[in-house]
Amino acid sequence: MPSRSLILPISEMKDDNNKILIKSSTKNLAEVRNFIEEKALLIGLDSQVINQIILSVDEACTNIIKYTHNYNDTNTIEVKVSDTDNQFQVEIKYKGEGFDPNKVKTPDMVEYFKNYKVGGLGIPMMKKFMNKIEYNHIKPDLNQLILTKSL
Amino acid sequence: MEDFNIKETSNGQIKILHLEGFLDAHTSSSLESTFNRLIDEKSFKVVVNFDKLSYISSAGLGVFMAYIEQMRNEQGDIKLCEMSDKIYNVFDMLGFPLLFEIYKEEKNAVEKFNTPD
Repeated sequence: MPSRSLILPISEMKDDNNKILIKSSTKNLAEVRNFIEEKALLIGLDSQVINQIILSVDEACTNIIKYTHNYNDTNTIEVKVSDTDNQFQVEIKYKGEGFDPNKVKTPDMVEYFKNYKVGGLGIPMMKKFMNKIEYNHIKPDLNQLILTKSL
Repeated sequence: MEDFNIKETSNGQIKILHLEGFLDAHTSSSLESTFNRLIDEKSFKVVVNFDKLSYISSAGLGVFMAYIEQMRNEQGDIKLCEMSDKIYNVFDMLGFPLLFEIYKEEKNAVEKFNTPD
């Protein structure tokens, strides 16, 4: 595997090929996962780290599709990646009512299993796999979620 | 588009589901339909083989949580087996081995149904 310092940062790549825009539908989750994998492979991340980032972005987009956009695919989600020597960052922008994953309490998993609960595991997964999750309401109707993985 | 398939086999009363491909919020409804049908058929002893599953998100984990209690209440179970390290890590990271029996090989999961404690 080449040294990461020899690889061009994604942010210095030409054009807008560091981002994709998808219609807000679960059928497009595969496209988002493929995009993240392709970019993460370009900078030489290992497969376990790549899977953790892919899962976190999948969970974030799934929540937006389900809860913010109510499966209405006239809405869109923009996913943009960038990297530095020591971190890989994914920025997700979407319109509609935003939510801050940091405000969601992580469940006690012993109690969760004891009571046969269902659902609510996407955000705990994002929190376990990423080093930082930042939510910003950046315009009257635009939300920004930044997922950061330290490398 | 990435795909998801379920191949179903039987071993006596035990149903074995072989999952293939990508199990996410888009494809998990197909696994739910399979579990609903198994319940209608009163097949409560289920082994799920993950050998050919490439990916699972929380939507996939949620399907197992949605049916495990009912299967156990009917003297059955959902036993999991043949996970790659990548898939096992997702289950393990959230503590699923606390509730689910996870076996290396399918034959061990089947044997466990045939030789209960």
